[in-house]
Amino acid sequence: MKFSQNKSPILADKYKLPLYLFLAISSNLVVSPIVYAASGTQLSQIQAWALGYLVLTSIGLSIYLFFVMFLPEKF
Amino acid sequence: MSDPSSPDLPHGTREPHRHTPKADVRKLYQRAIFASFLKLHPRNTAKNPVMFVVWVGTVISFLLTINPNLFSTIQENINQQRYFNGLITLILFSTLIFANFAEAVAEGRGKAQADSLRATKSDTTARKILPDGSIQSINSPQLRRGDVVKVVAGEAIPGDGEVIEGIGSVDESAVTGESAPVMKQPGTDIASSVTGGTHLISDELTIRITSEPGQSFIDRMISLVEGAQRTKTPNEIALTVLLAVLTQVFLIVATTVKPIANYIADFMSTVLGTTAGNSLRSGVSVTILISLLVALIPTTIGALLSAIGIAGMDRVAQFNVIATSGRAVEACGDVNTLILDKTGTITLGNRMADEFIPVNNYSIEDLVWVAKAASIFDQTPEGKSILKLAENYGAKLDFDLHKAEGREFTAKTRMSGTHLPDGREARKGSVEAIKKFVQERGGIIPPEIDAAYEKISKLGGTPLAVCLDEQIYGAIYLKDIVKPGLPERFHQLRQMGVRTIMLTGDNRMTAGTIAREAGVDDFIAEATPEDKINVIRTEQSKGNLIAMTGDGTNDAPALAQANVGLAMNSGTQAAKEAANMVDLDSDPTKLIDLVTIGKQLLITRGALTTFSIANDIAKYFAIIPTIFASAGIEALNVMRLKSAQSAIISALIYNALIIPALIPVALKGVKFLPLTANQLLKRNILIYGIGGILAPFIAIKLIDIILPFS
Repeated sequence: MKFSQNKSPILADKYKLPLYLFLAISSNLVVSPIVYAASGTQLSQIQAWALGYLVLTSIGLSIYLFFVMFLPEKF
Repeated sequence: MSDPSSPDLPHGTREPHRHTPKADVRKLYQRAIFASFLKLHPRNTAKNPVMFVVWVGTVISFLLTINPNLFSTIQENINQQRYFNGLITLILFSTLIFANFAEAVAEGRGKAQADSLRATKSDTTARKILPDGSIQSINSPQLRRGDVVKVVAGEAIPGDGEVIEGIGSVDESAVTGESAPVMKQPGTDIASSVTGGTHLISDELTIRITSEPGQSFIDRMISLVEGAQRTKTPNEIALTVLLAVLTQVFLIVATTVKPIANYIADFMSTVLGTTAGNSLRSGVSVTILISLLVALIPTTIGALLSAIGIAGMDRVAQFNVIATSGRAVEACGDVNTLILDKTGTITLGNRMADEFIPVNNYSIEDLVWVAKAASIFDQTPEGKSILKLAENYGAKLDFDLHKAEGREFTAKTRMSGTHLPDGREARKGSVEAIKKFVQERGGIIPPEIDAAYEKISKLGGTPLAVCLDEQIYGAIYLKDIVKPGLPERFHQLRQMGVRTIMLTGDNRMTAGTIAREAGVDDFIAEATPEDKINVIRTEQSKGNLIAMTGDGTNDAPALAQANVGLAMNSGTQAAKEAANMVDLDSDPTKLIDLVTIGKQLLITRGALTTFSIANDIAKYFAIIPTIFASAGIEALNVMRLKSAQSAIISALIYNALIIPALIPVALKGVKFLPLTANQLLKRNILIYGIGGILAPFIAIKLIDIILPFS
């Protein structure tokens, strides 16, 4: 029990990038089918996936900027 | 181009007697270029919201260079699109590098200075005195607070401390640059403090260490100039929020352009035909939206913001002053009241005896004899000047000096003197103190002493009364000389809205005369060092921001209370720890220069922010009309740019190039003029506001003409 209590936060800190990538891929499982369905035949599946990531990146940037606005001393 | 490192002082500013730290700035630019690439790490870039958005945009446009069909199928020549995307990526990448370069150059100067300080901090072997009196040799980094060490001539002082035994000359040039050695001895407030890394050049000293390992004065200086402890100042935080808000707004604008364009395109397809609609759709590609976003967000100030702050600290360091934080430098710019000691700050430190004024029917020879007798053990410059003037009168003492005893000046007695072998007491001191001394012995106060007091005070001098037991013999005129150039400096400060208050232990009449001569706004006479904190609290309660100098332990509370406290390096450890700035040259007049530097820092930040935001107007007019040309807003293309591609590339090239063009301004600071806040605002709007609108119009048009796009 002690092991997991000490280890979990360290792992989360150490592997931030893989965690974010995992979250992005998981989220895109929801976003890209919507983009693909909305575009009709104009976009290929890969383009829909890429656009899904672009949408997620834009939302991520927006959330990041809100963080800067509300916690500026951290930046 | 002038050296951006040299502090830019306004006209009339004293070229200070200072010792610029010998920082090795060779290869500064090579190192800065290398650092510019290292700073591309996303963890570093994420600290700057504006540049992080550019970083993300660069990555996306790079992906679009590799595969232009990533987000949609390109109808036209794919290689031409790849070439265009590649060009955008290159310009955005340059923008990031230029921004990092500005910060790296500013940091590089601090690092070079830290390296030169580190060179003085060589580990030495210290002779630690153990409780049983034996000596143990240990490495200096192992010394802890409270350890006692012995240092002999020729050795480096192993750490910061207080002299508790011995008298010796210390070479402090490694820290201050001043080559003249300084006498160190125990028991005195000022001369007992020693700094680690300096060298003892004569005799031997026993020192009690006052700092823990890694917390010495030099250690703190290194971490400060390197920027290791740099935290954002309140103004920087406020500006960061503003930049984040603007970036958020333009991010929303850029992401919503595409759906709006599609909506307009659908409408145009119906009305004007599919060609017009498709033309508009293809005109709004992801690369163009990224370009639009980067062009609209305030990249110039985003890129230069941290460089301006670091350069401000560097300019302070160039004055041989160590600031504990950027906040302290910025506070100098906000200060509106200066509290200055008279002696040493407003007047030349050493008052010189100029005239003897006998009273009570005593001859001048009698007065000179008593004055000489009272000053014979006085080691102060004033005492020595009295002896020198007495020797001009040929006064000779006829008692055995070995049997006489000196009485030192104290703030409580306000007099000094000599206990003569025959039991008589010669004294000199403030007129009030001498009157009291005489009255206690049953003497009568001659009315002429008040006339002499008034005469000397009206001349701006300090009157010293002289007595022998219960008889007053006369007065000595100690002449005070206002430092040259100070009245002009005070006038400039007044123009900037900064009030000056002179604090002195002198009587009201003397203080008033010196205050008028120096041109200070107010004065507080007959003040003790302890009064400083009360004056500061009173002024702060009126909403004023205070700057002051100090060097003694009794100044420490006031230095801590003041918004800007400048301690002298020759001062006590307590004063240096309480202050937020330390002057290595121990020149209190520098406080005025620091206020100037602080104001210049704030003005520079304001000017470049105005310029950066004003730039957006021109970039907006360059990009939007060309993108929406097919939607019929070609009329808004007031700059008559050749095409959408040419307009975007021109705007981005300008956006990137303006950053290195403004690096010298960010590092050196804008030209400083002593103006009020309103005058400065008008000047900033005129030069950097209107200039910021016009400059990109001209530059973008010129780049558009040069570019080979049709």
